Amino acid sequence: MSLEGRGVSRMCALDELSPGESCVVLRVEGEPTVARRLMELGLVPGTHVEVVRRAPLGDPIELRLRQVHLSIRRSEAAHIHVTTD
Amino acid sequence: MSRPTEVPGSTPLEVLPINGITAKPAKPAAARRTIAVLGNPNAGKSTLFNALTGLRQKVGNYPGVTVEKKVGACDLPSGRRVELLDLPGSYSLHPGSPDEVIVRDVLLGLKADTPPPDLIVLVVDATHLDRHLYLALQVIEIGRPVILALNMMDAAAARGVQIDEGALERQLGVPVVGISAARGTGLGNLRRLMDRDVEPSLVHFRRWPAHVMRVIRNLEERLPRHPLLPDRGRQDLAMALLLDDGEDDALARAVPPDVQDDLRVLRKRLDLADPGWRGNEVEERYEAIGELLAEVVVAPGRKLDPTRERIDRVLTHRIWGPIVFVMIMGAIFQSVFSWAAPIMGLIDFLVGRLGSSVHALLPAGPLRSLIVDGIIAGVGTTLTFIPQIAILFFFISILEDSGYMARAAFIMDRMMGKVGLSGRAFIPLLSSFACAIPGIMATRTIDNRRDRLTTIVIAPFMSCSARLPVYALLIGAFIPNRWIGFATLPGITLFSMYFLGIIAAIVVAWLLKRTVLKGGNPLYVMELPPYRMPSWRSVVISVRDRSLLFVRKAGTVILAVSVILWFLASYPRGGAEADALRTQITTAQQAGDVAQVKLLKGDLAGSVLRNSFAGHVGRAIEPVIRPLGFDWRIGIGLITSFAAREVMVSTMATVFNLGQADGTQMSLGDALRNAIDPHTGLHAYSPLIGISLMVFFVLACQCMSTVAVARRETNGWRWPIFMLVMMNVLAWLASFAVFQGGRLLGLG
Repeated sequence: MSLEGRGVSRMCALDELSPGESCVVLRVEGEPTVARRLMELGLVPGTHVEVVRRAPLGDPIELRLRQVHLSIRRSEAAHIHVTTD
Repeated sequence: MSRPTEVPGSTPLEVLPINGITAKPAKPAAARRTIAVLGNPNAGKSTLFNALTGLRQKVGNYPGVTVEKKVGACDLPSGRRVELLDLPGSYSLHPGSPDEVIVRDVLLGLKADTPPPDLIVLVVDATHLDRHLYLALQVIEIGRPVILALNMMDAAAARGVQIDEGALERQLGVPVVGISAARGTGLGNLRRLMDRDVEPSLVHFRRWPAHVMRVIRNLEERLPRHPLLPDRGRQDLAMALLLDDGEDDALARAVPPDVQDDLRVLRKRLDLADPGWRGNEVEERYEAIGELLAEVVVAPGRKLDPTRERIDRVLTHRIWGPIVFVMIMGAIFQSVFSWAAPIMGLIDFLVGRLGSSVHALLPAGPLRSLIVDGIIAGVGTTLTFIPQIAILFFFISILEDSGYMARAAFIMDRMMGKVGLSGRAFIPLLSSFACAIPGIMATRTIDNRRDRLTTIVIAPFMSCSARLPVYALLIGAFIPNRWIGFATLPGITLFSMYFLGIIAAIVVAWLLKRTVLKGGNPLYVMELPPYRMPSWRSVVISVRDRSLLFVRKAGTVILAVSVILWFLASYPRGGAEADALRTQITTAQQAGDVAQVKLLKGDLAGSVLRNSFAGHVGRAIEPVIRPLGFDWRIGIGLITSFAAREVMVSTMATVFNLGQADGTQMSLGDALRNAIDPHTGLHAYSPLIGISLMVFFVLACQCMSTVAVARRETNGWRWPIFMLVMMNVLAWLASFAVFQGGRLLGLG
């Protein structure tokens, strides 16, 4: 995409994003059945994901994708590679 | 990349669905048509089910598993009545939970006790079509007749979402009907459609890469033909086998053993060639859904829902979130604990009245005793749990329906996760401080099987309200009322008992999750649904179902054990001593000496109990409990307290000849303090024994109702027996350590 107007996008794992940041899923790794499950819940490559907030104790995190709010643990989010907007 | 939708190997469908199924032996020709309601969690599936069936529902379990099976009757416009089956909410046909395994097995015709439905009503949320169509497409592909019910059309319209139902119908090849289950709109159209014979769709959406597709086709050809599965559904069975690692029984039984062996090889080969193959199909399916929706839906891009955000900003706030959580939990606990008390008192009173009326009607004798002290008392025990169960499920169902339960789990996940439990374990454990029965029943909200079992096993460690009278008696008898710093010694003792139970629960949970209930780190993913007003109908249904289920399933066991305990405590009817007392009572009655009669009746009850089977068992177990400081009289109490822990108090009163009516705690406390050991002539019980006994009550599983409900909730005897043995061994060891350790320190 373009560099003008939108900050510099970076590639990282989903758990590194702060609340309010959003990104696009690149790939889901980790244990194959877990990865498939996360994808079935909508986290397929190309999906736009927003980190809405963290739980009061810092974990799990709340995501918004496809108009749905999902909460996953940060340990799982670490396997989801994304590129930030 | 798009593959032609027609897949070779799948045959036309006129052969199977409706006709094929009615030909099945398990279901006679005259059997009622079954229609299943299926959908994602939060699609409004239960609301629709309730709207279609009203209160004509039955709840049971699928055999062998803890998943709930709900069926109801539904009348269609033609006047015919069909059976509606509420299948558990699922995200996918490739299961991630026991609920989803059931759905897959029923739809693939693998479940012997639940034949596949004649028609499926697929409920999808019109405001979340892309997510919900994922499951819908999987189900449509199997080749069973499907009606797609677009739910929450009112909300979709309000958001400016336009859906071309006709186009969607053509794309999917199934009838589509827009409804709002909560408002009841569109249900007439849905009922009319349910009355018709629906043709299965011919459309295919799955798109695997060629090398995976080859494996699936090859597998498909080797699968035996199955009377309960449409031909094209065999490809779904092949996919299920390839994806689901074949650990599960119904699936494994569906294929010949040689295919099972090959599966492992095939999977390994695919993993080597293309580690991401499992996700491929998911990606392609979402792509297909995207293409499809582009043609039928016009939806404005949406930002965060402002109302939802405003509520969430408080309820999941770093500081306010936990505060609100503690307040809500406190309110629930307080209600279960105190609102139930007067109703329980009323039930006790009514059962007591019933008992005395029957007592007056029947002639004295063993039959009267059986009915009054065995059966009516047992029924009473069962009924007294109902208020707590009803109140707890009233709140749970509101919390679930409103969407708060998911937020509570979100807040608590980190803390509970430390012990290896899910955030949802909090409410069951908290409720268990009032009573483990509703607490164990509340574990239903935990979807992970292992987490749920762990929570069930540790729930009885929470000091329930039935232990309180026992603590009160023993503290009153043995703990001096002295101030230590800011608290009194009795207060500290009581707190320590509650605390000990919590520690034991944490340790046991930790151990279980590292041993028997280990098993990977289960995936935690939870949808945080939008906030909704709970519907009163579903609250009422939930409260009613829970209460009835308890009475039917656990009540029978409780009644049976009550009768056995009654028998043990009343037979044999006493020897020479009892006869002598009976004569004395008659004499005293003739003399009109009321006080003397009362005294003698207490002596008689004590004599009968001491010489009953329970008395003998109490003596028989004395060698086992002696190292804990308990004598046979406490042994009798331990046995009868299996009916309910507080029965310990009345039993001790009877053993010490105080008679049940006069057994006030003070005088019983004195009796315990002053009791003499006949062998030594010294005081029989010391404060150390009192503490040892309290510790025993904290840890021991000595409540038949808990065992009965654990059996019902785990659908088998394995876990309740484990619970019984583990807790009682632990209780023995802890009391042993307290008593013997205390003696070594010179406290005895």
